[in-house]
Formats: sequence, C-alpha cells, structure tokens
Amino acid sequence: MSDENDELGLLETLDHLLDRGVVIAGEAVVSIGDVDLLYLGLNVVLANVDAIIRTSQPKRIK
Amino acid sequence: MKLVVIGAHLERVDIEPVAEALPVGDLWLSGMPVADDQPLGDRALLLRVAQTRASLLDRGTFIAIRYGFTAHASSDAMTKCAAHLDRWRRTLQECRGMVEMTLKVAATSPQARPDRHNFDSGAAYFRALHDATRAASIDPLFREAVEMNLTPLAVKHRWSNRDNASLEFALLVRAESVAAVNDAGAALKRDFAFVPFLLSGPWPLEVFADDHE
Repeated sequence: MSDENDELGLLETLDHLLDRGVVIAGEAVVSIGDVDLLYLGLNVVLANVDAIIRTSQPKRIK
Repeated sequence: MKLVVIGAHLERVDIEPVAEALPVGDLWLSGMPVADDQPLGDRALLLRVAQTRASLLDRGTFIAIRYGFTAHASSDAMTKCAAHLDRWRRTLQECRGMVEMTLKVAATSPQARPDRHNFDSGAAYFRALHDATRAASIDPLFREAVEMNLTPLAVKHRWSNRDNASLEFALLVRAESVAAVNDAGAALKRDFAFVPFLLSGPWPLEVFADDHE
C-alpha cells in the first residue's frame, strides 16, 4: 500500500511539473527516448492536448 | 551551463541555498544548473527538479514555471519574461503565504476519448476532444460535499474539467490551512469511500498564477 501511495505521489508530482504552471515563450524540447513530450516555441505551446483544451476553457471563479 | 527554471519568486531569500537565483527585474527566478547538453527528459533530472520544487515551496510562495523553460543568463531570462513581470509581482504579493491544493475526481460518466484517425482535420479532432472533456461529470452529492467542506478553507477555488474522465477542484489556501484541508479530505474519503478521488498538495501557484492576466 505504501509503495502504491509513493507511486501515486510521484505520478502526481510529475503531472504537476509537466502539465502546470506558467508557460514562457521560449524554446525547449522535452524528450524521453525519441518521443518529444513537450515543445515550447514562438509563443506556441504544443503540450499534451488535454492541457491545451483545458487552458482554452473560460475561467470560472466562484 | 543552462538553468532549468523552476519558479518566479518575490524574494531571493526564498530561493537560496535550495536553488540558484536569477534576477529578472525586481523579481527572482529559481533554477537548477545543468550542462548544456543535458537532455531535459532525463528521469533523474525530472525527479531532482520535482524535489527542489517541493523544497522551495517550504521557503515561500512562488509561481510555478512549466518544466522545459531554460535560461543561460539573467539577460536571457529577462528578455523572455519581461511581459510577465508586472502580473507575477501582483500575484506574488497578493498570494504571499498561500499554496495550491488539488482534488481530482474520476468522472461518473467518463466520455470515450476521440480517436484522431476518425477525423479528417485536426480542428475537428480538437473540437471532439473539447466536447468529451466538457461532458465529463461527477456525482453531484460528492461535488456538493467537496464545496461544503473545502470551500470555507480556501481563499479561491475553481472546478475544471481535466480531461474526458476526470474533474479537478483547485484551491488556493493559506499555508497554515493545509492540515485542515487534508483533514477535510480524509473526512470525504470516509463519507464517500466509493468515489475515486485524489487530494494532493501543497503545490506552488499553478492554476491561479494567471488570474491577473
């Protein structure tokens, strides 16, 4: 159970690291093996599509 | 050497000696120095950055910079960050002493994820993804309980559809309220044992970092 929790914590941490936060115009390619996971360039963000869709939604504050 | 930038901070003392501090105007960026040829997808580096990020949050509120942004020098960072500085300063001043927490909930009606091969254009595929994301919903009783138990502990809160299978409740809370939020999460776990959800944090300013945009 503890291992499962550790794994969940790690996944959640990496999800926040890769999927959250302010995006700066710049350039970087994050690759694992031959797969580009994230590319930032010229104010255009190609991240995972879920992240793009989410950030395109209007913000609602209660 | 290049600096893998982790966050934007109000005070230099919030960064050193945990990470390297790079001035940008009257603010500071935290970062981790790595060799120019170091691949950013390196697992060990990702974990080091994640650990440093957590340690930085112990020292003070900061705005998270999405992983992947690097800078070689202060002038380099300043060029790329200049447009953000006023907004960052206002956010950091307003949110000093606060952190984010997130509660992810599995949707009761997860939508099938569209298959790109079934669409002629990328735009149509994106629209279908958007529709699937918006259509995901959760148990209304659980949603009500979340709002009743967690909202009073939050300075700001926001629901968002994460993807086609989950929703997320993000909270901006004072650092001293983290334990109370975790207690409220444990109570939700007892009352809604059948609802798969994950309460996590504290995190730096991520969801609420752009509120001054």
